[in-house]
Amino acid sequence: MSNYHVVIVEDGANGVVEADGLNGLCNSGAKKREKIIIDTDPGIDDSMAILMAFQTPELEVIGLTTVFGNVATEDATQNALILCEIAGYPGVPVAEGCTEPLKGGRPRVADFVHGSDGLGNVNLPPSKSKKDEKTAPEFIVDKVNEYPGEVSILALGPLTNLAMAIKRDSSFASKVKRIVILGGAFFALGNVNPAAEANIYGDPEAADIVFTSGANIDVVGINITTQVTMTDADLDDIRKSQGKYAQLICNMCKFYRDWHVKSDGVYGIFLHDPVSFVALVRPDLFTFKKGVVRVETQGLCLGHTLMDQGLKKWNSSNPWSDYSPISVAWTVEVDQVLNYVKNKLMHS
Amino acid sequence: MPQSNNKKKIIIDTDPGIDDAMAIFVALQSPEVEVIGITTIYGNVYTTLATRNALHLLEIAGRTDIPVAEGSHVTITKGTKLRIASFVHGTDGLGNQNFPPPKGKPIEQSAADFLIEQARHYPGEVTVVALGPLTNLALAIQADPDFTKNIGQIALLGGAFAVNGNVNPAAEANIFGDPDAADIVFTCGADVLAVGINVTHQVVFTDADRDKLAQSSGQFAQYLCKILDVYFSYHHDAYSTKGVYLHDPTALLAAVDPSLITCAEGVVRVQTVGITRGLTIFYNKQKRFGEVTEWSNKPSVKVAVTVDAPRIVNLVMERLMNS
Repeated sequence: MSNYHVVIVEDGANGVVEADGLNGLCNSGAKKREKIIIDTDPGIDDSMAILMAFQTPELEVIGLTTVFGNVATEDATQNALILCEIAGYPGVPVAEGCTEPLKGGRPRVADFVHGSDGLGNVNLPPSKSKKDEKTAPEFIVDKVNEYPGEVSILALGPLTNLAMAIKRDSSFASKVKRIVILGGAFFALGNVNPAAEANIYGDPEAADIVFTSGANIDVVGINITTQVTMTDADLDDIRKSQGKYAQLICNMCKFYRDWHVKSDGVYGIFLHDPVSFVALVRPDLFTFKKGVVRVETQGLCLGHTLMDQGLKKWNSSNPWSDYSPISVAWTVEVDQVLNYVKNKLMHS
Repeated sequence: MPQSNNKKKIIIDTDPGIDDAMAIFVALQSPEVEVIGITTIYGNVYTTLATRNALHLLEIAGRTDIPVAEGSHVTITKGTKLRIASFVHGTDGLGNQNFPPPKGKPIEQSAADFLIEQARHYPGEVTVVALGPLTNLALAIQADPDFTKNIGQIALLGGAFAVNGNVNPAAEANIFGDPDAADIVFTCGADVLAVGINVTHQVVFTDADRDKLAQSSGQFAQYLCKILDVYFSYHHDAYSTKGVYLHDPTALLAAVDPSLITCAEGVVRVQTVGITRGLTIFYNKQKRFGEVTEWSNKPSVKVAVTVDAPRIVNLVMERLMNS
């Protein structure tokens, strides 16, 4: 089931279905599919989100850009290339991104969550295709300039590439259509430590640049994503389904699921990246609050995301004053989001 | 001096302050409490004025038998750029009433020394109700390795747990006043109860409550109605509320009667640098992390999570009106 007014049109290239979906009402026949770039560090839940995106006819994935996080950047690039092949889109460009955070230093890689290959140690064959010639920040800036106001970005890892794009092109923030970010823990415990969530902790300086850039940003924190658990029973449903990628995803998820048992006592997995993907295509399943968000870049709360909810009139200026507010996901329709994800993985 | 062995011995560490004045009066009117001293600190006003106001309030109450020990004038890191909240409490800290100077004087001992001595004299029996920045307590902890063992409980008004602060989006005023001291107190190993503004913002004293207070013949009620105007208009401007938050009385009553709140236990750390300086992060120890964190292997404290607000407002009203 889709809420979109789907219009089937001729498409010489690959006969896909086009829809106006993401922008609401269809008023004049066919509209272009929404262009998205996925900035990602695949990653098991990243892989789920990427495969879902390729199977969403309302979207045109115009490229993947890679970053460190769940794995090192080079491995993220390899994994992104393999996932494009598996999805049947080997021609989609994969632009390799930054290999370290803005302030430098070896990035922290979460191999204890995603396995040493980032994909739950399933040992996929190496990809045949090659990465794009451009770096991720170049690729992002070029695409956004080529299609001003049309490109949305789904950011699933540390925000280094986006910060670099903002530094590269001062018009980027106003030209990008929308940035949906998985990151932060708003008024909730982090997952790296009590103060910080992993993606933001991976590059706090970059996150602060992105959040205060003035771009149209929706951020989905783990206070939202940890409400959406895919249980062992849900995973069983997927394994028994005819979904094209059901087996692969279930195999990948074993390692990820065992980490959740150890870390959170959860018999299942949190759908961090898939939930953020749903926030991109079905924002109606969430509510958002607007507020200025800043990121701490020092001290024991390094990587903490702090939003001014706007409940108080401050009597003097503070580090949150005078920045543009962004949209912070506040509530989520848990069952509907879970069903959306399951349907995508079981029936395509 | 009124003495009774089964009364809870309390030292109020305070920066009066309008809601501090309320808390002090409520304490003096609480039959289950014996106030054995007041120690002073900067915050709502500078320390010198806090001492003057504490002496003044005790004279109003006819309780000049209670000693006042003056506390630190600077933060634990010797910081002198103090944030003073005269826009909340008036330039005199007591609603711009220009009360005459008190006749009494503080004792010779410093606040930290007084805290150490009293804790040693009544081991396990003294509760410190800390209503300002935590410098005096941190100094006591540093000066006497036995202080954390000797002190009964430290009940403090401070922090903003999983909510915005009141100085800026990250920090609550008392913790912001001396974040380094606060981190020392939270991790010292004593029995610490933190009552944050996430809880005290639920305890609202309304215009109607004030009217009731004004109509009563209670001595403290009458006094407080005079000084409350500044505090009410600040709340109206800053929060668009018709009422004021009972921060300090809530913390005091929570220390006196724990059944007024429910608590969670875990580790609290305070951010001491950066844009979120003064941020309090509470870790309930439920989730396990992949790596050792700054919260690992630190002693637990109690953090108030819910409050019986109507009962607190009633208790405050009752005790102030019957005075």
